Parts: sequence; C-alpha cells; structure tokens
Amino acid sequence: MSTKVLIVDDEVEFASTLAERLALRNYDVKAVYNAEDAITDAQSDPPDVVLLDLRMPGIGGLEVLKILKKFDPSIEVILVTGQPETEGSGEGIPTGLFDYIMKPVDMGELILKINNADQKRKLSRHS
Amino acid sequence: MNIRDKLFLGFSLYILLATIFAFFSYQEIRTVTTRLAYVEVVDDINNNVLEVRRTEKNFFLFKNEESLKEMQEYLSALKKDIDGITVEIIKAMEPADYNMMKTAITEYEHYVDNLGNNFKSQEKLVDMIRTAGKQIEKGLSGKEKNEFYILRRYEKNIMLYKDLKEYEAFKSLNLGGNKEIEKYRILVFDLYKIYKDEKNLEDKTRLKAREIQSFTEKLSKKEREHMNLQLKRMAKLPLFGLLTIIVLGTIINIQFSRNIANPIKKLEEITKKIAMGDFSETIEVKGKDEIASLGMSFNQMEKTIRDSKSALQNAVEVAVTNCNEKQAQLIATEKLAILGLFAAGVAHEINNPLAIINEKAGLMKDILEMSEDFQHKTRFLNLLDAIFESINRCRTVTHRILGFARKTEVSIEILDLNDIIKGVTVFLEKEILYKNIRLELNLKKNLPEVRSDKGQLQQVFLNIIKNAIDAVDNGGLVAVSTDLKDGNMAKVSIKDNGHGISGENMKRIFEPFFTTKGTGKGTGIGLSITYGIVKNLGGNILLESEGDKGTTFIVEIPTNSELAKGQVA
Repeated sequence: MSTKVLIVDDEVEFASTLAERLALRNYDVKAVYNAEDAITDAQSDPPDVVLLDLRMPGIGGLEVLKILKKFDPSIEVILVTGQPETEGSGEGIPTGLFDYIMKPVDMGELILKINNADQKRKLSRHS
Repeated sequence: MNIRDKLFLGFSLYILLATIFAFFSYQEIRTVTTRLAYVEVVDDINNNVLEVRRTEKNFFLFKNEESLKEMQEYLSALKKDIDGITVEIIKAMEPADYNMMKTAITEYEHYVDNLGNNFKSQEKLVDMIRTAGKQIEKGLSGKEKNEFYILRRYEKNIMLYKDLKEYEAFKSLNLGGNKEIEKYRILVFDLYKIYKDEKNLEDKTRLKAREIQSFTEKLSKKEREHMNLQLKRMAKLPLFGLLTIIVLGTIINIQFSRNIANPIKKLEEITKKIAMGDFSETIEVKGKDEIASLGMSFNQMEKTIRDSKSALQNAVEVAVTNCNEKQAQLIATEKLAILGLFAAGVAHEINNPLAIINEKAGLMKDILEMSEDFQHKTRFLNLLDAIFESINRCRTVTHRILGFARKTEVSIEILDLNDIIKGVTVFLEKEILYKNIRLELNLKKNLPEVRSDKGQLQQVFLNIIKNAIDAVDNGGLVAVSTDLKDGNMAKVSIKDNGHGISGENMKRIFEPFFTTKGTGKGTGIGLSITYGIVKNLGGNILLESEGDKGTTFIVEIPTNSELAKGQVA
C-alpha cells in the first residue's frame, strides 16, 4: 500500500506539478490549494504525510498544522517553505513538525523525508 | 587679624587720638586755671604792695601815728596774702621766688617796726628837749639867755631840717659850764642820732619796698607772659589735634581700605575671568582675616569648578564618542535591516517561480526518462541538468537570504538561553548525525534569564551552529557553552575544531556578501544578518580564531535587568 501524501499549497502550478511527479514515484498523492480544503480532505481521507506550505491566504500553514495534529497526532507534517523555520510567527520552531524542506524542492531529499515521516508514522501506529 | 578687629582698631585709633588731645586740652585748661589764680594772687600782692608804699610815703611825709597805723594794717594784709598762697600756686610760681618774696616782706616789716620805734623815740626826745629848753630859758638871763636862744634856734633847725650843717652849728656852740645846758645838748645830740638812724632806716625801708615792688611787678609780668604763651599754645592745640586726626586718620583709613578693598577688587576681577571661563588665576592668600579665608574658599571653589568642568568635558567627550559609535552601529544595523528586508522580498518573489521552474523541469526530466529514446533525448537530459544546476545556484542564494532575513519587529519575552540552545541543537540533530559530529553542551546552571526575541535568537544560534557544523570535517567537534559575563551579560560560546579563519577574513566576516565558501555554496549574508540581529538585541558578537585550530564565536546577550535599560524602547 502506497504512502498517502497530501500537498497543501496555494501555488497551484507548483502543487499540481509536484503531485504529478510524486505520483510518478508511486505515491498516493493529492493536492489542495487552500487551508480549508486541506482540513476537510485530511479529515475525510487522512493522509500519512502532509506537505504543507506556510504562507497561504486565510488560515495559515501553522494553524493547519495545529488542527491536523489535534485531529490525528500520527499524521506527519513536512513544511514546504521559502525559509527553514517559522516566518513572522514569533513563536520559534513549531511543535509537532516532523521536518521542513525548502523550495525549490530537491526531489531526492523530499522522498527521503517523506519516507522517514511515513516510517515514523507507521512506528507510532504500531506502538 | 580679621576685618572686624581691623575696623575696631581703626575706630579705636580715632578714639585714642581724640582722647589724647582731650587729655592734653584738659591739662592745658587746668594749667591756665592755676595760672589765672596765681595771677590774681600776684595782682593782690601787687596792689597791697602799692598800698603799703602809699602809706609809707604818707608816713614819711607826715610822721604821725595815724599813717604809721595805716601802713602797718596794709603790711599785715600783705603778709596775710603771702601766707594764704596755696602750695599749688607756690609750685607754679617756683618756691625760690616765693621764699625770696616772703623774706623780703619780713625784712620790710622789721624796718617798719624799727621806724615806728624810732618815731616814738623822736617824739619822746623832742618833748624832753623842749621841756628842758624852756626850763633852762627860765633860769638864764642876759647874754647867756641870748646865746641859749641861738642854741635853741639851731635845735629847731635840726628838728626841721634834720641836717648835718645845723647839727655842726649846734655842736660848735658850746656855752660851757652849765650842767642843765650840757644835759640839754646831749638830748639834742641823741635826737640827731635818732634822726640819722631814721634816715638810714627810711632809706633801707624804701629800698626794700622797691625791691618788693619790683619783685611783684616782675612776677606779675612774668606770669602774664606765661599766660600769653599758655593761651597761644592752647589755641594751637585744637588745630594741631584736628590736623593730626585728619592726617593720621586719613592714612589709617587709606591703609585699612586698601587692606580690605584691594583683595575684594582682585576677587571681583578673578570672578569675572572665571565667568568668562578663564581658570588661570588664583587669589594670593595673605594674613588670617576673613578676606584671606574668603580667598582660600574661593580658590577651593575655583578648583572644584575647574575639576568639575574638565570632568564634565571628559564625560561629554566620552559620551559623544559613545554616541557616535552607537550611531554608527545603528546606521550599520539599519542598513543591514533594510538590505535584509529588500533581499528577503526579492528572494521570496524569485523563490516561488523558481520552485515552479524546478518542478516543471523535474517533471520534464521524469517524462523524458520514462520515454523511449529519440534523437535528442540525451541532449535534452543534459540541458535539463544544466537547468537544475542553475536552479540549485539560485536556490542556495534565495535560501540563504530567506533563511536569515531578519524580522524588523522585535517580540520581547523572558527567555532561558540554555533552552534556546537546546532547541536549536535538537533541530540540527539530523545534520549532526549525518556528519557524525561530536556536540558538547556546557550550559551553565542558573544562568540569568534574558529579555529578548526568541525567533531571532534561534535564528542567530541556528546560523552560527550550522556554520560550525559546516566548518568541521566529518567526526569533528562543536562545543556550545553558556556563562555569565560581568554579571550583566549572558555569554554563549560556539567553538569548533575546523579549519579556522585567517586574520584578513576575520576582519570582513560580518560584511554583507563576504564569503569564503565556494561559488554557489555561500551567499555571504548569514553572518552579516546575524551580526545585525545581535546588535539590534543590544548584544555583541565576537570572533576568535587561532589559525587551523578552529573558530570560536561568542555571542553576548544582555540579561533581563541590563536590557530593560534601553534596547526595548
């Protein structure tokens, strides 16, 4: 069973292309383009790993992270962002975050991180 | 001597001078009074002497009891006058004069007494002669009687003229034999003898009287001369006293005024100079009075002002220097902040399209790899790799910029630096594991809390520790320690055993876009932004490097109490 990946990014071209590429690599990928859709989607069909953009109109990435972790703490979130940590939040490195990856994304690195996250999720589910 | 004493002395001198002259004037007046009494006495004596002389003449002229009595009365009054002279006056007229005068008067009195006796003897003898004459005339007759008449005529002439010629004539007419006539003749001889004595006494009396008169006149004259001199002197005394007081007083006044006024004038001059900022002169302190004390206090005050002024100048210079440094730092920080914001904006705008290019090119590559071979497939793949290479170069730049672009707003909270260090190292765990780095944490217990921005501090330490990780080889050492410096700064040292930084590079390490990493690996922005953040948080960032033994970054952040003073305004 392939890993379920949910891409959340308001940059449609980026999200859709990345989804296509991950799909080529046998991931069960879905891309949404705003926070609300991400929450609805994750709740109806919980993903294993979420690739989350930080800067989005409306509810921001951090809020989405909090809601998702509350809904299912085993969902691992990788922040896909322009910078390595919290931008303008004043709160430092967000809690519950598995990892981050910077745009433009290096596919090898991303796959490594997704797999690590998936593995962690699987381990936490077993325990 | 103090000013009060000086003034007192000045007035006292005046009073003393006035007293001295008053004393002399009193003495003079007393002398004059005594002299006046003396003059009066001398005048009285003089008058009595004149009276005595007048009665003396009367007596000589009339030769009667009455004038003798009168003369004796005046003489007794004169004696009374002489005896009544006080000791004071005797002293004033000189005792020798007094004694001479007294002796003269006693002698005169004696002469007068003798004259009185002589007069009485004359009267008695005249009576006896006349009685004897008449008796003899009765017993005579004829020629004898006529001859006796001649004798009697001579007798009368003797009584009338008291003259030697008459006496010789009387003596030469010797009628002889008659015992009665002989007795009579002896009586006349005796009378003539008394007359002679009288003449002699009269001469002596006159002489003595003249002596006394001239003596008293001389005394009176002398005394008047004395009085005149005395009065002249007395008239001069007030003038002399006044002149002395004016001259001496003026000299004393000038001297005292100089003594008091000159130092005050000097004080005024120096005060004016000080007011103009000239501290070159001090007051010369002389004596021990209030002026000297004032001078000493003034000099002390001048010194204090001078010292304070120079201390103030120094303080102002230091403050200005500090201010200039701070301003320069602020300008540098500000420049960095603007540059950071600008760069972050640019990087963000570039990064998103770059991400899309990357994905699109990636998808192209994916598709190409899945496709069968066609004519230019290898060429396309190579071209795509070239695109990826360029994307990677761009990514390095934008990631650096975005990663370290600082926030302009500072969000302050109470923080434990040790917790922040721990959080950052946890975040870097994967890289540490990947390079098999030995991480040592020496975090001081009970490190005072800091009031600072958590996100910015994380950024600072993330950057520096990441740099340290980059600087060491696989299996290298990174040591992070915290400590307290000077009681008001929390100090974080990040030490690595990498290749170190050369002296030349150390000078430029915080400059924007300065990097020692190879092309495409470093942007030269991280450390300059880190520097800006630390300075903005009121801290310091220092660098120590000993050639190839590694590098130590030291970050100092003010503790809670210290920071509260200024930075968070």
